[in-house]
Amino acid sequence: MNKTTQRRRSFLRNCAAAGLGLAAPSNMSPGLHADESADLPACDGPYYIVFNASGGWDTTYLMDPKGVGGINRLYQEADIQTEGAHQFAPNDDHRDGGLSNEDFYREFGRELLVLNGLDYSVNNHSPCSRYMATGKLDSLAYPTFAALVAACKGPDCPLSFLTFGNYSATGNLVAMSRVPYLPSLKRIANADSIEGNIRAPYHDDFALSRIERALAERRAERSQQPLLPRRERAENMLYAAQVNSKALARVTPHIPKSIPKQRLAQQAEIALASFKAGVCVSANLSIGQFDSHANNDRDQMKLIPELLEGIAYVLHRAEELQIREKLVVIAQSEMGRTPNYNKGDGKDHWSIGSIMFLGPGIEGNRVIGQTDEGQFARPLNPGTLKTDSENGIRVRPEHIHQALRQHAGIADHNASQQYALKVPATEELQGLWG
Amino acid sequence: METMTTFRVACLYVVVLLAGVADFSVAQDAGCPAMKAETATSRWFFGEVWSKVASVECIKCHRRGGDAEDSRLILKTIQLENKSERAKIQAANFAAFCRMARLKKDGQSLLLQKVVGKQDHGGEQILKPDSSGYRILQEFVRRTNAITPSHDQHPEITAKPFFDGVTMLDNRQLLRRATLSLAGRLPTDDELRLVQSGGSEALTAIIDQVTREEAFYERLREGFNDIFLLQGVDGNPDSTVLSYEHFEKTRLWYQKYDLSHIEDEQERRQAEYRLAREYRAALLSEPMRLLEYIVRNNRPFTEIVTADYIMVSPYTARGYGVFDELKETFTDPKDPFEFIPVRLKALTGRNQRENQDSATGFYPHAGLLSTFQYLSRYPTTETNRNRLRARMYFLHFLGIDILELAARGSDAAAATTKYEIPTMQASECVVCHRTLDPVAGIFQDYWRFDRNFALYGKRKEGWFTDMFGAGFDGEELPATERWRALQWLGERTAKDPRFAIAMTEHAYFLLTGRRPLLPPKDIDDPLYTARQRAWQTQRGEVESIARTFVDSGFNFRTLIGGWIQSDFYRADGLTAAATTPERKAELDDVGVVRMLSPEQLERKIKAVFGRSWGRLNGQTAMLYGGIDSKEVTERATDPGGAMGSIQRTLANDVACRNVALDFSRPPKDRLLFPSIDPNVRPGKTDEGDATIRRAIVRLHERILGRYDAPDSTEVNRTFELFAGVVADASARKGIDPREAWSCRQGLESPVPDEFYTVRAWRAVVTYLLRREEFLYE
Repeated sequence: MNKTTQRRRSFLRNCAAAGLGLAAPSNMSPGLHADESADLPACDGPYYIVFNASGGWDTTYLMDPKGVGGINRLYQEADIQTEGAHQFAPNDDHRDGGLSNEDFYREFGRELLVLNGLDYSVNNHSPCSRYMATGKLDSLAYPTFAALVAACKGPDCPLSFLTFGNYSATGNLVAMSRVPYLPSLKRIANADSIEGNIRAPYHDDFALSRIERALAERRAERSQQPLLPRRERAENMLYAAQVNSKALARVTPHIPKSIPKQRLAQQAEIALASFKAGVCVSANLSIGQFDSHANNDRDQMKLIPELLEGIAYVLHRAEELQIREKLVVIAQSEMGRTPNYNKGDGKDHWSIGSIMFLGPGIEGNRVIGQTDEGQFARPLNPGTLKTDSENGIRVRPEHIHQALRQHAGIADHNASQQYALKVPATEELQGLWG
Repeated sequence: METMTTFRVACLYVVVLLAGVADFSVAQDAGCPAMKAETATSRWFFGEVWSKVASVECIKCHRRGGDAEDSRLILKTIQLENKSERAKIQAANFAAFCRMARLKKDGQSLLLQKVVGKQDHGGEQILKPDSSGYRILQEFVRRTNAITPSHDQHPEITAKPFFDGVTMLDNRQLLRRATLSLAGRLPTDDELRLVQSGGSEALTAIIDQVTREEAFYERLREGFNDIFLLQGVDGNPDSTVLSYEHFEKTRLWYQKYDLSHIEDEQERRQAEYRLAREYRAALLSEPMRLLEYIVRNNRPFTEIVTADYIMVSPYTARGYGVFDELKETFTDPKDPFEFIPVRLKALTGRNQRENQDSATGFYPHAGLLSTFQYLSRYPTTETNRNRLRARMYFLHFLGIDILELAARGSDAAAATTKYEIPTMQASECVVCHRTLDPVAGIFQDYWRFDRNFALYGKRKEGWFTDMFGAGFDGEELPATERWRALQWLGERTAKDPRFAIAMTEHAYFLLTGRRPLLPPKDIDDPLYTARQRAWQTQRGEVESIARTFVDSGFNFRTLIGGWIQSDFYRADGLTAAATTPERKAELDDVGVVRMLSPEQLERKIKAVFGRSWGRLNGQTAMLYGGIDSKEVTERATDPGGAMGSIQRTLANDVACRNVALDFSRPPKDRLLFPSIDPNVRPGKTDEGDATIRRAIVRLHERILGRYDAPDSTEVNRTFELFAGVVADASARKGIDPREAWSCRQGLESPVPDEFYTVRAWRAVVTYLLRREEFLYE
C-alpha cells in the first residue's frame, strides 16, 4: 500500500471516528482526491451475515427439540434426531418446501454451534428485536452487531453495513445501506458515466479530478473549523460516501446473471457480491412471518425450512465465490414460541429461545445451554458453559453480544466502548467459540 | 403483532424537570424539617432523586390511575402547567418523597426496603442494592433524617446558557431553509428584502404565508405520512379499506364504469387502469387529506382525533356509495383528487347482525382514529386483541412509545406461567396493560380480522374479560358511549396535555426528520448530566411551543412557526470548537443538519433549476433512503456508498441537463447564469475575472444558500476549479469544441464551447451539487 493510500485510509477512518464524536480529520492532504478510489482497500473479511427469523421462531421445531408435554404435535420425544452433538426436531415429513432439519444438520452440523436457553427477558417484538440485535434492551441508541462490526472493521467500505430488514440501528457509527434489488447494484455502479456506460463519462478525467480535489480541499478545511457535532458527522459521512462509492464498480462482475427466486437468496446474492467485491463487511438478512399465533405448525414448517435453505444457499454460494472461509453466519430470532398451543393452534410469544453460529473461529458440533422439559432456561455456568443451578446465570443477549464482539476482535474498539454492554467479567461466556 | 406481557412503561407520563426547578424553594411540609429553605438540597433532590429515580421508575405506578394509586406515595406529573402550578406540583412531589423517606419499618427505611422489593412492594424489586439509583435514595434518606442539615455539599453551579457559542442562521438564511423545507421553493427577492428590513416580525408573517401555499400542504401530507404510515395499507385499498361486508355493492364501482366512448381498445384499457389507480390512490390519501383540510381551514388540530367527518373525493365517494348525493358539491366531479368533508351514515351490513350501532344514524367518526385506513393499516388479530391499535394510538396521539423503553422483567417466561392472567396479575405486566388494554377495549367493535371482509364487527362472545375493561386513563367507558367509543376517546385525547406535546414533537419531526431527544437513562454514564441538560433544554422548548399551540386554539401553524423561530432550528455552527466531552454531548443533537429525502431533493432541484431531476423515484428512491410505508418505514439519515453513488450521478446529470441549457436562453431568462457570457475566460482580464467571481457568488447563493463575498475563500476555491478546468482543457489537444452530446440536448439556441468554459461551469455546478449545503437541509 502506498503512502497516499495509507493517508487516505487514515482520513476515512477519521471520518468514521468523527462520527463517534472523536477527533476530526486533520491529516488530509489537499492533494488527495477520489481518483484514488480505485485504490480503495478492499474489505477482505471476515464477513458477517446475520439471519433474522423475524416474528419469533419455534425453537422446539429446530435446535431445541422437546416432543413432550404437548409442546410439539408433529413429533414425539422418541423421534428426536441426532447429528454429532446436536439434537434436533425431525421435520422432513412435515416441511412445506425449503431444506429439512435433517439435511441441514447432516451437511452443517459439524460446523454448527448452538446456544439454547437464551433469555430474551421480555416477549414483545419491538423491544425483543432491539435487544437481540444490539445486546441492549433499554436504549434506542445502541447499534446492531452488524452495524458495529462494520463500523469497526470497514468504515471506509461503500456498503459497509447492508440491511434487508429487522432492527438496524447504527448508533451513528456507520451508514446503513439498503439495496433491495439486485439490479440496483448495477444501477449505482459507475456513477460518473452517463447511464452507467463507462465509455461515456460525464466529465473529462481532468475535470472530474479537479472536482474531487476541490471537494477534498474543502473537506480538509472544514475539518479544521469548529462545527456542531451533527454537522461534523454529516459532512464526514457525506464525503466518505461519495468518495467510497466509486468502489461500487467492483461489485458488477459478481452480480449473477439470473436472479434467484427465494427471498433470502436474493438478499444473499446482494450481500455476497458486495463481500466478494470487498465493499461490505456485514449484512442483516431477514425473513418474516414467523409470528405464528395462528396455526403454528403449518407456519413453522414452511418458514424454518425456508430459513435453513437460505443459510445453505449462502454457504454454498460463498463456497463458489471462494469467501466461505471468511464468512461468519449468525441465525437468530427475537423470541421463541410458547410451550403450549393456543386455541387457534398457534403459539404465542415466549421469552426463551436459541441462537446458531457458524464460521471461522467457531468450533462446531457443539450445543451450549439447555431448556428444561417445560422450555424454561436452565442457568448456565459462564466459566464451564455447563448448566449449573447453583452458580449459573441467565444467558441474555448482552452476553451473546459481548462474546460476539470478542470473537470479532472489536470488544476494545472505541465504538464498542462507546456502546459498552457492561457485562461483568464473571459473566462472560468463557470459551463459547471453542 | 403486539401483545404485551412483561413490560414496564418508562415514559407513560412526561415529567419535566428543568423549567420549574429554579422556582422551587421550600417544601411546605412538616415531615421535611431538614429540607426547609434548603435550596441546595431541594436542587439536589430534583437533580438526583427526581430525575434519576423517581421520574424514571416510581412514577410509573405511584400516580393517580397507576397501579400503586392506593399507596402512600403518590406523585404528580407536570405537563403544560404554568410556572406557579409547576412549583406547587414539584413541592408536592418533594414533600411526598420526604414523608416516605422518614418512614421506618423494623428500624429500617421503608423507602429503601420497598425499592428493593421488600415489605410487599407491589412493583417488586425496582433497584438493586448496589445500583447508583439505590445509593441516591440512600443519600436522600440520610439527608432527610439528618439532625443537622448539610448546607453546602452541592453548591449551585452557574452554567453558561445552553446555546452559548452556537451561531445562528440569519433571517435570510433561515427564510431559505424554511421556504425550501415547507414549500420546496427558494425565497423571492421581495421576501428576502422584507426579512432584511423587517426582521423576525416579517419572517413570521412570511412563514405564515408560506404555510398557506399548495406546496406546503403536499409537504404536510408527506411529513405526516412518515409518522402515520397510512400509505402502507396492505393490498388493494378498494378491497381492504372498503370492506366486502359493508361496501360490497359500491367499492368496485370502477370495474363497471362506462368507458365505452373510448373506441380504441388499448386506450380504453389504459383508461381503466388509470381509473383504478387513481381511485386507490385517492382512497389511501384520504386520512392525510383530512389533516390538510384541518390546517387549510384553520380548524383546531385536535380534529385529527375528533373530526366528525372524513374526506372523500368523487372517486372514493363512489366507493362509499355516496357519490350521487354529493356530486353537486364537488367543483369538478371528475377530479379524483378533489376532497370534501363528509359524514357517513352508520354502516349497514349484508345481514342485519353486521349493522353498526349508532344513536344518531351516522358513523361515529373520530378523526383519523376511526378511518378505515387507520384501522386497516393497524389491524387486530385474535391474539393481539386490538393492542397494536392501542399502542399506535399512544404513539401517534400522545407521543408515548409504550414498548420502546420497556424495562426488563426478571423472568418473563415464569411470569407468563405463574399467573392465570399475567396481564392483569403480574405486576411487571400490569404496569403497561393497565394503560394499554383499556384503549384496546375502546376499539372492541372493530373486531374483524379479514379486512377484505370487514373491519367493523363485534366479537361474538363479547369483549374479553381477561383484560382490563375499556376506558382511558383510569376512566371507564360508559356502556352508553360504546357505540361512539372512538369519539369518546378522541374527546379525551384532545384535552390531554400529552396530545399538544405529541403534536409539537410531530412538527419537530416534520421539520428535522428526527424525533426529539429522550431523557437519558443510564445514570452511571459520565455524560449523564450533559445529556440530561440537552434533553431538558429541548424539552423546555417543546413545552413552550406546545403551550403556544394550546393557547392558539390548536392552530397547527403555530407549531411550525414556533419551531422555525426557535434556536433549535436556527442553530448552525460554533464560534469555537466544543472541546470537552460534556459540551459535545450537550450539543450532540443540535442543528437541523438533515439529509434531504428523495422527495425533498427533487423539489429542491426544481426550485433551483426550474425543473426536477425526475429520477429519484421508485427503486432509486428506495436506494436513496426512501420509505414504502410498509416494510421500510424509517428514512435513512446518513448516506452509505449506494447513496453516495446516487449523489454523484445526480450532481453529474443535473449539471449536464441544465448548464448549457441555461446558457442557451436569453440572459434575462436564465436561472443560473444571468449575468455572464459563456465565453468569458478566466485570467484574461480583471473585469472578466470579476464577472466570473460574481457569477460564482450567484451560484453559491442559488444552489447552496450561501452569501459569499467575491474574494472569499469559498469563491476562490470555486474560481480555481473553474479556471483549472479551463486551463487543463486548453493544454489538451483534440478537445471537442462542443459540450458533450448528452449535455447539449434540448437547447433553446446553440451554445458553442470553444474554450471549454461551458463544461467548466458544468464542473462547477457538479461540485456545488455534491456539497452538503445542497444535499442537506
